[in-house]
Amino acid sequence: MLIRRVYEYAQANKRNLQIGVAATIAGAFTGLAAPYMHAIAIDSIITPKNLSGFIWWIPLFAAIILGNYLFQYIQTYQIRIVGEKVVAKMRDDMMEKLQVISLRYFSEGEAGRIISRPTNDANTVRIFIRVGLTSILVDISSILGTFAIMFYLDLRLSLLAISVLPVAIVLVWYLGKYSRAAYRRTLITTSGLTARLQEDLAGIKVTQAYAQEKETEKKFLKSQEENVKATIRAILIGSSYTPFVMALRLTGTMIILFFGVNALLASLPTITLGILVAFIEYQFSYFMPLVDLVTMYDQYQSAMSAIERMFDVIDTKVEVVDAPRERSIQLQ
Amino acid sequence: MSIAKPLLDYAKSLKPRKGFAQSFSAFKRLLQYHRRYPWHVAAIVVLAVIRSILFSLEPLYTSYIIIYVIGPPTNTSLLMGYLLVIVLAGIGYAITNFILTYMHGVMSQYIVRDVRSEYYRSLRTKSFSFYDSVGVGDLTSRATVDLRLVDMFLRTWLGTVLNAVFTTIIIIAIILPISPTMTLISMATMPLIFYFTTRLWINTMPLFRNMQLIMGRLTSYIQQNIIGMKTVRIFRREKDVVDGFIEVEDVYVNTAITAGKMQSIYMPLGPALLTLGAALVYVYAGITLGVPYSALAVEQIGYLILFVRYMMRLTFPIRDVSQTLGMWIAAYAGLERVQEMIDAPRSVEDMPNARDVRIEKGQLELENVTFGYVKDRPVLNKVTFTVQPGEKIAILGATGSGKSSLIYLIPRFYDIQAGRIRIDGTDIREFKLASLRRQIGVVLQDVFLFSGTMRENIAFGKPDVSMDEIVQAAKSARIHDFIESLPSGYDTPVGERGVTLSGGQKQRITIARALVGNPRMLIMDDSLSFVDAKTEKEIQAAIDEATKARTTLIIAQRFSTIKTAKKILVLENGSVAEFGTHEELMARDGAYKKVYETQFVQKASPILREAGGS
Repeated sequence: MLIRRVYEYAQANKRNLQIGVAATIAGAFTGLAAPYMHAIAIDSIITPKNLSGFIWWIPLFAAIILGNYLFQYIQTYQIRIVGEKVVAKMRDDMMEKLQVISLRYFSEGEAGRIISRPTNDANTVRIFIRVGLTSILVDISSILGTFAIMFYLDLRLSLLAISVLPVAIVLVWYLGKYSRAAYRRTLITTSGLTARLQEDLAGIKVTQAYAQEKETEKKFLKSQEENVKATIRAILIGSSYTPFVMALRLTGTMIILFFGVNALLASLPTITLGILVAFIEYQFSYFMPLVDLVTMYDQYQSAMSAIERMFDVIDTKVEVVDAPRERSIQLQ
Repeated sequence: MSIAKPLLDYAKSLKPRKGFAQSFSAFKRLLQYHRRYPWHVAAIVVLAVIRSILFSLEPLYTSYIIIYVIGPPTNTSLLMGYLLVIVLAGIGYAITNFILTYMHGVMSQYIVRDVRSEYYRSLRTKSFSFYDSVGVGDLTSRATVDLRLVDMFLRTWLGTVLNAVFTTIIIIAIILPISPTMTLISMATMPLIFYFTTRLWINTMPLFRNMQLIMGRLTSYIQQNIIGMKTVRIFRREKDVVDGFIEVEDVYVNTAITAGKMQSIYMPLGPALLTLGAALVYVYAGITLGVPYSALAVEQIGYLILFVRYMMRLTFPIRDVSQTLGMWIAAYAGLERVQEMIDAPRSVEDMPNARDVRIEKGQLELENVTFGYVKDRPVLNKVTFTVQPGEKIAILGATGSGKSSLIYLIPRFYDIQAGRIRIDGTDIREFKLASLRRQIGVVLQDVFLFSGTMRENIAFGKPDVSMDEIVQAAKSARIHDFIESLPSGYDTPVGERGVTLSGGQKQRITIARALVGNPRMLIMDDSLSFVDAKTEKEIQAAIDEATKARTTLIIAQRFSTIKTAKKILVLENGSVAEFGTHEELMARDGAYKKVYETQFVQKASPILREAGGS
């Protein structure tokens, strides 16, 4: 499996990876503790005007915030080290392999595709490890952590808070399908534009020699326009997520407020003002990661195919003798 | 010496320097591109204000619910009204945000398109010298990879910055009348956050810039390696290539990790500080709180919750601004690489008085022509000779003697530094470039065909030419029969998705391409060496047919070319050593005679190829 092989590359930086992942999870949890600390401050210290509580609350609160800062620092730094080193190692291996594989891989037309592997593909993977991997870890721990805290605080409010969740998942998934299709279309037009540019520039001397600059420019502009249109469409679909998600989130907030206020007025024992406010914040803190995760899917997929293409080069068999041209294997 | 030595030295020479002035001027230049879309910018500003207002309503009304609904005194009749405001504000926020994101995205695409088009147009006008020194892969990646970084920044930057500014202003406007002291306390950390964000910028910007620069070079290193793989293998430099690469990559990785360390120190600092500030607000509120459970106390708690929640909300815009700064750093390096090419001088341009001139006869005069790629290092020195209409001149000379440079001066692929070149008595600089080039058939040294059909490739210089003329040109170039033998004839695609052509076939197509439009003058850089005898014969036939009755300058590769030439020009170190007919030069007993006797007579020894190739 791909992830497993990437993990093998991370073996040299195993310690960094372990520390990084641990810090990521710890960071997400300490981040979640903040709204709960607010609830405590409001319910146990401010409302009864029991100011001596600050003696333990302030150090604890500061410790949580500083801890959160520290974990985020460790997480970002360690994951960055792992990402850079892993991609560099993969790229070194690719370069080494390129020097020994059969020359027919470098024939005209193939060269462009090979070039993009140690450059564009490697860059995609680098950015994915740096941003995507961390986000996925943070998002998952945030969502799970939020659920745990909410259910610990109040079962009924929790159920109300996540009542909109199924609708949100279905909706986001459904829109995600459109979004992915639009995204793929952007990728296709982008590679078309790149191919166009590459050819125009490779043949620029011929173009200049025959004074055909205007003609080639027309073709280029057409190809660029297709790309612009496809990208704008992808942006339209991508940004249509947010209104729906926001509307759903606010529906959740409204439900929590409505029932919460009524419960508060009916003096139910488990619900306090602090907890009510904390719930509104927690509602916020599980919804956003959820949306983030879905949008991350595209990045995840493109990173996976980039990794696949990189391993493709690394795994190419070395032949001593060039096979005849007709039998050459097509790389994609 | 390692192949990657210059690259390694370059990477190591990049000092972490302060680049504010440059970054700022690059940003101003990027802003210029926004000026073409005033309505998009205006819409984004207006929508950003509305969005910030709507964003601030939910915490405010939640606090109202605490104060006025829960009380005391309790007043549940207000609850539904407040909830409605919250929901409507939320829906309004969602819609505003959607339109804003979309408008921003559209604007970014338009601007990227404008920058890329400008880049593309600027490349069209660069001279051959420019393309001799810059790789195609490098130029392509500037327009794609580097511009993508700019795209990423452009998609959100204005909205993010406005969001941070307006949200802060609106929140302060709401909380200041409620409690000036608490506002002051809650915003106390803001200057610190501002300070640290600036620090982050100062410290990481040069590093990211260096990373981008190293990566750009590394990319072209990889490209050169892949394109020139055959040469690498022939000279057994594989290990050297890889070792050099790994060394440079190490420099890159170390820079990236240093930058990452700084980012990880400063980035989470802003939100942490803001959250810590909440503790101060709690303490102040606790001290000033009225009698517990009184109406006053509930009001105070309601507003306390408002303050704290606003502070938590503000962490998002602050985080976004930090990220946008990070994106700008990357975008700036990318933009710089694009603008570097846009700003590179174009050395060949139309003169102000240039006009369309028709070449009637095709007489060519060179008078004291001096030319060099680098100033004060002439490749050609005071070259003078005249070619009469219809004459074929074969040019001989060792590698580096300036043969290719000489013939490429005629269609002004390069401009001369001194002297004069005239066609039919008119200085070539008085021609419009397009007018000059369209009337000279050119066969370049490297054989390049575009993806497209045979027909499109042959008619490349005159897309609206008739089929008869295309066939005529193909016949002259001795490629017609081959094309006809293909299943789709002239509509057969060339290249990756079409037929695979041999080097000789490709070259004959490029000859046909030069003949379309029946030009009076022809320049040929016939460099196709290492071909088999049959191919050589076919190419020779094509060349002989093509050069009939046209003023031709041809870099001689074969004895047969020299045999059919009217005159022979021998170049030595950039000067004309000998010029005349075969008989004249043989009689002179000079360089030509020596070459002829030692090489042509012994028929095409490898040295001749050395002498002919360039």
